[in-house]
Amino acid sequence: MFKESPGNPEKETIIGPSVRVEGDFIMDGNIIIDGTVCGTIKTSKDLTVGKPSVIFANIEAGNAIIAGEVQGNLLIHNRLELKATAKIFGDVATTIIDIEAGAILNGHCQMAEQEKSAKPSSIKQEKIALEDVPGSKKSKKINIV
Amino acid sequence: MYYYIYDSFLSDKKYRKLLAQIETRLTDLGINGKINRLSFLKNIRDLITDEIKNGQNTIVVLGNDSTINKVINIIADLDVFLGIIPIGKEQKISKFLGVPEGLAACETLSARIIKKINLGKINQSYFVTSLVIAGRDIILECDNNFVINLEQYNHIEITNKHLFQPTDQLEIIINNQAKKFFFLSAGSDISRFKGQSLLINSKKSIPILVNDEKRIIKTPAQISLKKQALAVIVGRSRQEQPPA
Repeated sequence: MFKESPGNPEKETIIGPSVRVEGDFIMDGNIIIDGTVCGTIKTSKDLTVGKPSVIFANIEAGNAIIAGEVQGNLLIHNRLELKATAKIFGDVATTIIDIEAGAILNGHCQMAEQEKSAKPSSIKQEKIALEDVPGSKKSKKINIV
Repeated sequence: MYYYIYDSFLSDKKYRKLLAQIETRLTDLGINGKINRLSFLKNIRDLITDEIKNGQNTIVVLGNDSTINKVINIIADLDVFLGIIPIGKEQKISKFLGVPEGLAACETLSARIIKKINLGKINQSYFVTSLVIAGRDIILECDNNFVINLEQYNHIEITNKHLFQPTDQLEIIINNQAKKFFFLSAGSDISRFKGQSLLINSKKSIPILVNDEKRIIKTPAQISLKKQALAVIVGRSRQEQPPA
């Protein structure tokens, strides 16, 4: 597991289970997500995706721990940790990967050497259109979540 | 030049002695000036703008948070200094600025440590510490980047933290207050993030507590942060963060 951030909760962004974020979620500090995010997630620090969360977004982060569902590509510059409950439907580029038994990874996985951090070259970080996201206000289909 | 504004509640008998002591102390310190006592018949905006036109550059408020808020909304866009002599209950802002209550504030005023503070702004009104919104079906648009749709009943607090730092942002805390069953709360469901501007949308007008004062604000309401907006005379014991 990557180093926990020094105890400064103020620098953390938290998205609770009842909150749904749509758009480009770009932050400076650590991000903890337990809700739903559609669009893009970007941070240079640590990202934690909790068990109840559903992400329809391309993710770029320094380190990541995923325990929820992600539909989108992941570009993790250092370490990616997939918990047993994680479901990834997208391509992954990272330097170090740790997959717990039970985790689902459906997509290409590209690993870079530790000296060179993960390169985004082979993973096209195409924006996820909100029209394609189930439950989104812009979605054409009617979905019951 | 110092210009003193007394809130209307200070006309009460119980403050007479304290005000006399303050006026004597201000004269001793050589910082006495013109005094104006507010009343229902006087328009505070007219009083202050007229005095600023006449060359007053330090507006000193004698009163509580409510008095300070009224004055801040008038002088925030003007090139003047704000001084405070806290009297009465509700003194969150003066505590945060490190200004002692009553007579002791005269020494702080005389020492004249000036710091510029950031002010939060909702539509055309300013706030110093925080504002609280409670309601359902609220849409928040943050920094024109992302949208949060809050359908359930939520308690949203927007805080102007670290007032003295010119680079800081507003902190937004969303606390979901929806009940799982009749009386059981849904557990801890708090979201927190920072942003420089926030647009609040709702089908109805929503009640907003601005610096603990209830106001009804029409939506859409634009909330932003005005950096280094106001020069304030502060005390040595000023806090880097507003009191909880």
